[in-house]
Amino acid sequence: MIQTISLQPGVTLRCFRDGRFKQGCLSFQLVRPMCREEAALNALLPAVLLRGTRQHPDLRSITEHLDTLYGASVSALVRRVGDYQTTGLYCSFMDDRFALPGDAVLAPMAEFLAELLLECPVEDGGYLPAFVESEKKNLIATIDSERNDKRIYAMSRLLKILCREDSFGLPRLGESQQVEVITPQSLYRHAQTILKTSTLDLFYVGSAPAEQVAQLLRPLLSRLDRDWQSLPPQTPLRSTPGDEVERMDVSQGKLCMGFVTPITNRSPQFAAMQVLNALFGAGMTSKLFVNVREKQSLCYAIGSSYYSVKGAVAVSAGIDFDKEAQTRAEILRQLDACREGDITPEELRAAKEAILSSLRATHDSPSAIEGYYATAALSGLSLTVADYQAAVTRVTLEDVVSAARQLELRATYFLRGGSQ
Amino acid sequence: MNSTYYPELDETIFRGTLENGLPVVVIPRKGFTKKLAYFVTDYGSIHTSFDWEGRSFTAPAGVAHYLEHKLFDMPGGRDVSGEFAALGASTNAFTSYDMTAYYFSCTEHFDECLRLLLEFVSTPYFTAESVEKERGIIDQEIGMNEDAPDSRVFESLVQAMYSSHPIRVPILGTSASIREITPEVLHQCHQAFYTPENMLLCVIGDVDPEGVSRTAAEVLGTAHRPAGNKNRSWPEEMAVETPETALSMEVAMPMFNLAFKCESLGTGTAAIRTEMVADLAAEALFGESSALYLQLYEDGLIDSSFGGGFETIDGCALLLCSGDSENPQAVREAILARGRELAAEGVPEETFLRMKRSALGRRIRSLDSFDATCFRVCAYHFSDFDYFRFPEVYRDITAEEIRLFLDRVIQPERCSLSVVYPLEEGGDTIHESV
Repeated sequence: MIQTISLQPGVTLRCFRDGRFKQGCLSFQLVRPMCREEAALNALLPAVLLRGTRQHPDLRSITEHLDTLYGASVSALVRRVGDYQTTGLYCSFMDDRFALPGDAVLAPMAEFLAELLLECPVEDGGYLPAFVESEKKNLIATIDSERNDKRIYAMSRLLKILCREDSFGLPRLGESQQVEVITPQSLYRHAQTILKTSTLDLFYVGSAPAEQVAQLLRPLLSRLDRDWQSLPPQTPLRSTPGDEVERMDVSQGKLCMGFVTPITNRSPQFAAMQVLNALFGAGMTSKLFVNVREKQSLCYAIGSSYYSVKGAVAVSAGIDFDKEAQTRAEILRQLDACREGDITPEELRAAKEAILSSLRATHDSPSAIEGYYATAALSGLSLTVADYQAAVTRVTLEDVVSAARQLELRATYFLRGGSQ
Repeated sequence: MNSTYYPELDETIFRGTLENGLPVVVIPRKGFTKKLAYFVTDYGSIHTSFDWEGRSFTAPAGVAHYLEHKLFDMPGGRDVSGEFAALGASTNAFTSYDMTAYYFSCTEHFDECLRLLLEFVSTPYFTAESVEKERGIIDQEIGMNEDAPDSRVFESLVQAMYSSHPIRVPILGTSASIREITPEVLHQCHQAFYTPENMLLCVIGDVDPEGVSRTAAEVLGTAHRPAGNKNRSWPEEMAVETPETALSMEVAMPMFNLAFKCESLGTGTAAIRTEMVADLAAEALFGESSALYLQLYEDGLIDSSFGGGFETIDGCALLLCSGDSENPQAVREAILARGRELAAEGVPEETFLRMKRSALGRRIRSLDSFDATCFRVCAYHFSDFDYFRFPEVYRDITAEEIRLFLDRVIQPERCSLSVVYPLEEGGDTIHESV
């Protein structure tokens, strides 16, 4: 289904050819090792590139150009995939077959992508200060707004504790202080470096044949002065223990618990760990939801996430301050039940069904296809959606028990009220 | 079921009407795994006054939304959401001013899910105890809404603009109005508006159209029932009641809604054409590619939170924009001035064609979204228009129509501004209507 074309050393185009959709997508991702020094630069770059080019010098003229391409859109794409951070652009556009006779969208879209990446105006060896300063402000506002959502804030605090010695603890968009110090010159120099040396992943979903897409992207690639440096492979989490309580003026407490496991998405037991996570804490049929929330009313919200690239499971619960010890004990008791095989056939079936149901819908939209395959390739996951489904279907009760026994509690974080 | 092919969209749509009067629309999507079904009634929060079986009724505000919550209850303590979950499906519902929708999405067991949807929506089961219990839950929802500045700024706007249209009343009703809701009231509204001919079943996905129609006929039977006759006479002058209102809440920067009152559209092709003209007019006036947007953005009067468009609700319509601004009055003055300029000069032909192309392309792209497509098919069905005919409507629209629309609508007396200001330092004073 996916056709992979190596266009240059370190430059890969993946195409998912599909005529079912009315729109296509094209993503451009530079892959970087996640690190404190460049996280903010990588997050800022696409926002600045989208402000203007030499031919289309402001937001209005960019929007006008996208209007002529039948209302196409381009947005910033910044992801964290395990040890890596990606930075780039995501284009979404109408399929050529609906354009007026003699008109096309894909070809001019590929040209415009090249223009945005390479023709952002430069003065005094940097991008335009007006663009850089206003996008720095926007990025800082986005980073700071994380604090407004206490659930997200608490989870990022937990990851910081659990990952003191691992880049996985760094926030996806970098830190405000790192954004502050960026100058138009430092951002421009960084862009030149990463365009030259990074692994570059291109992904297309739509009706055009892969060879045509490759042809349309060659002019862009020929303009890059490349000197590729390959990336180290993904590594398992280097976790650190910790137990932290923070006080803040909040009305609801947030309890987060971080577990580690040697099972990653590269392990044979990957599907079993996914099923365990669904059964233990993800979704409305999980043990945590049914028992801790519904039956015992210990919390308002509860859920678990499996970070499969690194091998960690995090549980987060919104609770009353005085319920901390009780909730903590109950979460561990539910995990013990999994370890002892105290699992009904319905629980196992519902957990598998929840994963299968979301996998089945992966091929229903261009953005979901791009989201799955463009990150799978980077994360080291080698399963197609069909293989993944088959692996989940085969998971047995014993597999789930064995996965549960390989989870170990490593760090906790509790956000509670009161000012000290 | 009859099928129609739409070459410009490469879509084949199946339509039919069951013996009991229920219209059914199926949008087959070969090769997709997700299936989505909407079961919708042409009844929303504004339809509180109606005639049914020879009697006149005035229901308490918020009843459509209350009914939506309570329909998920089934006899014997059955848990509808749980039954969908057991089939690997998920279900939900929403109430708007003029429509109530129930839906599910699934990848397998489609027929069982469809039966369940049709069954629970057509089974009214309300006990005094469960209706009482729901009151607390809905009261909390109302409380949350009262804390949400974006809801408050809109409610304050429409109250300032309209004198009689029930858009003045929040969809959820008020703490006081929901106290009057009883099992009997819910039963009456269900009987009056959840009749096959007042509803629509719309399904999208890789399904058999005949099978959908067969299942619906089996579950719902053949009986015709008369629907309630909604009172839809809400006389309104085009001049707004109050040109500016203000509230104070916990916000970082002043938040505003600015709107121009428009004539109600009615139904049919002419109405949809006006709606598309109005959309293009909004784009020309303050859309992201307009001169005004860039000017306001560069002057720091608006930020990326700014946006707007044309809103239609049964019996009323408004050209609306919203955003955060340190000076909402300056935004209003700029929009009025630019609107009058465009009304005099018109939109250049080249700009107009570009905007039309963009609007058409975005609509075509949005057909990939099952949810957006189902929603639009339902809304346009109740406006008596076949949504898939939008390309031909766009084709005929002229730049002159845009100019005429702006000339009619962008008038100071039709304009109202609603602002939520940050709380003043150390105080919780509220400056009500200015």
